[in-house]
Amino acid sequence: MTHTDQAVPVRRPADAGKMKYRLYSIGIAVAVLAAWELAPRLGLVSPIILPAFSAVMSALFSLVTTGFFMRHFQVTLSEILIGFFLGTFIGLGLGTALAIWPAAKKITYPFIVGFQAIPKIVFAPLFIAWFGFGQSSKVVMAVVISFFPVLLNTMVGLESVPDDARKLMRSLKATPMQTFRKVSLPHALPVIFAGVKAALTFAVIGAIVGEFVGASEGLGYLVDLYNHQLRIDRVFAVVVVLAGIGAGGYFVLEWLDRRLIFWRSSDTQ
Amino acid sequence: MSMADTTTAGGASAPSVMPIIEARGLAKDFVIDGVPVTALKGVDLAIRKGEFISFVGPSGCGKSTLLNMVAGLLPQTAGEAFFEGRPILEPSRQVGFMFQSPVLLAWRTVEENVLMPAEVFGIDKNTLRDRARSVIEAVGLGSFRQAYPRQLSGGMQQRVSLARLLTYEPKVLLMDEPFGALDEFTREAMNLELLRITQAAGITVLFVTHNISEAVFMSDRVVVMTPRPGKVSGVVYVDLPRPREIAQLQDPRFTELNFTVRKLLGQGHDTH
Repeated sequence: MTHTDQAVPVRRPADAGKMKYRLYSIGIAVAVLAAWELAPRLGLVSPIILPAFSAVMSALFSLVTTGFFMRHFQVTLSEILIGFFLGTFIGLGLGTALAIWPAAKKITYPFIVGFQAIPKIVFAPLFIAWFGFGQSSKVVMAVVISFFPVLLNTMVGLESVPDDARKLMRSLKATPMQTFRKVSLPHALPVIFAGVKAALTFAVIGAIVGEFVGASEGLGYLVDLYNHQLRIDRVFAVVVVLAGIGAGGYFVLEWLDRRLIFWRSSDTQ
Repeated sequence: MSMADTTTAGGASAPSVMPIIEARGLAKDFVIDGVPVTALKGVDLAIRKGEFISFVGPSGCGKSTLLNMVAGLLPQTAGEAFFEGRPILEPSRQVGFMFQSPVLLAWRTVEENVLMPAEVFGIDKNTLRDRARSVIEAVGLGSFRQAYPRQLSGGMQQRVSLARLLTYEPKVLLMDEPFGALDEFTREAMNLELLRITQAAGITVLFVTHNISEAVFMSDRVVVMTPRPGKVSGVVYVDLPRPREIAQLQDPRFTELNFTVRKLLGQGHDTH
């Protein structure tokens, strides 16, 4: 064709620059861990308040090899996952309903905003009273705080479809279902996914808060227990495990995100 | 509002042919902040099959409103519009609409974008695939069939948008400043290609633009519109021979026609 319009090359960030930033990150991590190790050893803080990093690691290894710890781990992990999936599912459903049914949105929006204004962890004691000491009260807590970001992002994402795209589908006499599946949903997917990532973090918080308030098993229960026993090394060990759960989930979602939303340009990542 | 439009009025010698698009007293009022605004005052218009007709005028002259009503995307306040003699009540698959933005789906390749209407129409994609490929070839994107929109320049994206329309073979193309966002050189190349393709296929084109010389260069007739209230202030017949070539830009007749359009636009302003 003409020389005036050629393909725009897809930009790639320089790998050398990326490497440099990674080195800085590793440097900071090493410095923080070294300070953590040295501060108690040099007597700057009491080892009872802050055990050395090596002490936390040895507590972690002795814990994860025990059967009882794995039981608590599984309890919390299943609360998080069930809460996350239910919360995501409910958020997707409600968000979609509100986006495609304007009357429902107008009627219920004040309630949604009002509900969101409540710091939902105050419900934790109530849920224990309603659903008992077992896992269900924690799952409910996780659902209640994790569904909202999915709901909001689903609604906003579906509503942000450009007018011209809607008009194009109208000019083709597309059915509402065709417009939803072929245009609105894929268009909203990046925004929805950001909500889903937030939901995972919230589900972890929900499960742990629920366990803090009243439980006889789970990682949150263990943190509370070890704290009272002044086994701070073990408290930190459980925190490391929880961080691992959060990071693991995040990487799985990040991987899914890249596969599902492959068209996102590299510079908006 | 009368327009000196005798194209299809039926001379004694010519057999009377039904216009492919017709408007009779077509009007549109909007209510903006409680105040009624006349976007378009009664328009009478008859467009014959294969004609290339442009609508020029400043913003607010109602040219896009007119196009949207002909597309069946916007109900009129008064009057009627016809496609092949039948009143236009809803969009038709025989009438394609092209926007200023390409409106491509970022998650689909060029070919998948071009085949999207086929999916909506419920046509088996495989029967249209060969047609789609030849149209993609015709708009000059043969080697970009598997590319994604973000890998293409603005001009190339607009070619995909055109290919998407041409694949399902509409009889009429409604184009709302389709190349307005492109640079001058790309736009000129796109215009020439649009002419080549639509003239060869006998497609009727209704073309909305801000650009006077573009309108004159492309069209058989230029409908000049003026704002507040939006109305047709005149129609200019372009008697330059086809196929149109860039060399015609220095034809004195081209300059003359440009000036005629310009004067009609100016008159509209003065009477206000």
